[in-house]
Amino acid sequence: MTFTSWQFAVFAAIVFGVYYLPPVRPFQVQLLVAASLFFYGYGQPELLPLPGVAVGGTYLFLVLALRDRRWLPVGIIFNLALLAFFKYKFLFFDPKAPVLVDVAAIDFLLKLPLPVGISFFVFHNISLLVDLTREKKAPAPSLADVFLYIIFFPQLVSGPITRAGLFLPQIEPKRFSEIPVVEAAKWVLIGFFFKLYVANNLNEMTSYMDFPFYETLQTQDRWLLVILYGYQIYADFFGYSSIAIGLGLLFGYRLPINFDLPYISASFSEFWTRWHISLSTWLRTYLYIPLGGNRCGKLRTYLNLIIVMGLGGLWHGAGFSYLIWGLMHGLLLAIERPFLKTFETINSAGFRALRIAVVFSCVTMLWIFFKLPNFDHAVSYISGMFRPSTNPNPTKLFYDLALLYSLPVILQHLRLGVLFERRLATWEPYVYGALGALAYLEAGPTTAFIYFQF
Amino acid sequence: MQKQQGSWAWLARCGMSAALILAACGLATAHFGRGLQMPATTARDGTLVTLNRYINNPVPDVVLVGSSLTFRLREEYFATPGLRNLALAGGSPVTGLTIVANQRRLPKLIVVETNVLSRKPDTALIERFSATSHQELFFRPVRAAIAAYENFSHAPATHEQVAASLRRVIAQPPSNFDNRIYLARAVQERETEDPTAAAMASVAEIARLSRALEQRGARVLLMELPCEGPIEAARYTRITREIVRKAFPDARQWLSIDVDRTELRWADGVHLDERSAILVSQALDGSLGKLESGGASR
Repeated sequence: MTFTSWQFAVFAAIVFGVYYLPPVRPFQVQLLVAASLFFYGYGQPELLPLPGVAVGGTYLFLVLALRDRRWLPVGIIFNLALLAFFKYKFLFFDPKAPVLVDVAAIDFLLKLPLPVGISFFVFHNISLLVDLTREKKAPAPSLADVFLYIIFFPQLVSGPITRAGLFLPQIEPKRFSEIPVVEAAKWVLIGFFFKLYVANNLNEMTSYMDFPFYETLQTQDRWLLVILYGYQIYADFFGYSSIAIGLGLLFGYRLPINFDLPYISASFSEFWTRWHISLSTWLRTYLYIPLGGNRCGKLRTYLNLIIVMGLGGLWHGAGFSYLIWGLMHGLLLAIERPFLKTFETINSAGFRALRIAVVFSCVTMLWIFFKLPNFDHAVSYISGMFRPSTNPNPTKLFYDLALLYSLPVILQHLRLGVLFERRLATWEPYVYGALGALAYLEAGPTTAFIYFQF
Repeated sequence: MQKQQGSWAWLARCGMSAALILAACGLATAHFGRGLQMPATTARDGTLVTLNRYINNPVPDVVLVGSSLTFRLREEYFATPGLRNLALAGGSPVTGLTIVANQRRLPKLIVVETNVLSRKPDTALIERFSATSHQELFFRPVRAAIAAYENFSHAPATHEQVAASLRRVIAQPPSNFDNRIYLARAVQERETEDPTAAAMASVAEIARLSRALEQRGARVLLMELPCEGPIEAARYTRITREIVRKAFPDARQWLSIDVDRTELRWADGVHLDERSAILVSQALDGSLGKLESGGASR
């Protein structure tokens, strides 16, 4: 059940309608847990026991770790093992093989598909274990509270990855009158607009980046499509995160902001404070700092950056392309680090624009490894960007449509939205209404959110 | 309390503006009809434009249905007046044939390409373009604006307008583009794929639709477009040909394509290049002319 389906609209409306009924108020947490389980099991009921095992196991280790911290690494390993099993097992087994092993139960487990959202709820579990044992909070929160934190349906599938310390204190009875209605509506409308109008329409064009269709492209169109994919993946994930934040607010929970105009970043380190902020924060808190961060000398810092980003790449998927994508980002972070202070002293708009262009170009080129997880295809696509096309019947792309569907991302990064918050505030509701209407009228062909696969 | 009232006022204004835009697009659709559902970014959407035109314009005399192979035979290549090409890039000929069969009025002649029969019919497209389907409530303002601009700046040319450029293309020698890599890949695909089950289902459906169409007064003929030698000999082609010829053994059911094969080129190993597509279109013109004058097909 995706956010853009009518089934989800019905589901969310029913849960929202029941949630604020006075008799239900004492059971709001239980209601959200039940709704989240229904949401999770709707598409793949055979995987419904998984969140039960993951949350139940994590809760057990949390209770043990609060008594004795030596249980903390065991809890972390339990979660990493779950992630590794489901995410990387197909590196070793062919899922199409009729029988993988002779033991039926293990064979069944091995053939289970990648559970939606596992990468996200495993990170929630680890955050819960580390944060609470670090704070030595005893007694442990209730099992229902832990369940809600981990499987709260707006953030269950693709985040934002919310830290336990941010979410758990928000669990309390909610009242309808406390909903920030306008803020929630703005997040939901902008999210649907970016997903349906921008991402889904651009997806129709960037499908030509897939193998073997990219071989029909002209050289300049390969470049154009890489930029369009950069806009698409942003619009897709920003759209998802915005809808999640808006839905969270409707149920009384404030989820962290995940994007902050990433394509105006003037450095790679700035990019990672603006792109998928909840993931980069998680990696910094639970991986980079425990590895030593920048406290163990320059070389160790560079190595830590590359390791963390490499693992971040692998977190996205069990593929060489994802690893290369992460390692390249780590390498770029390490390369720029010695020059950052010098760059910051140069107070020139032209120089900043040049830096933004360089960061955008590198980040955009690296998205090719996301679009084409097969490493050979990615390399073949890139090599075709640097030689003239020989295909006598190239695919025709409508550049005017490409511009119109990319425009919201461009305008947003030019900070035009600020105008509506200040001078044109009176027009704000009408503009959001128009965005909602356009999202419906101009919706591109339905496609899953890109980050669902992770 | 005041804050809550302000929130509801904001939501009301937001809803009102959305409703006004939807109503405007709804009224525009009611006034202009489905012709406004316009194009887009892919070959498939190019087909949507053709299908829209087919549904909204007077019924043509001749209709071609098929796959991406026939899709390359652009309408302006033909001298035959009143010919529409409803072939779907990446699609099944059954889709186009069903759409034609679902209209209240039929063309005199429907030509069905039989080269690619392993794809399933596109039920969504059939539903959308069937005579009984409901009109869409709203048109897409951005795409309609782009369509208007594209139609204005790249209006489809008539046969007369393009005749000179067609002559110029044909006067050139056949292309010497090296397609070996593409051809090898296409042959490999056609050697591994077994189309038997899908092709039998498609052939059965074509036969059923043909009988229904002929009972309503239309004539249905089949055609097999020429392919490159190794593709002709590949397993996929052999199986498909055997199935379709077994179902349609009568030579009078087939439209011949008398063309010099040494002049034809397939740039990507499968699809005719522009010059070859013009030559094949002209050969089809010849066959259609013979039909008109009472000559037999092959």
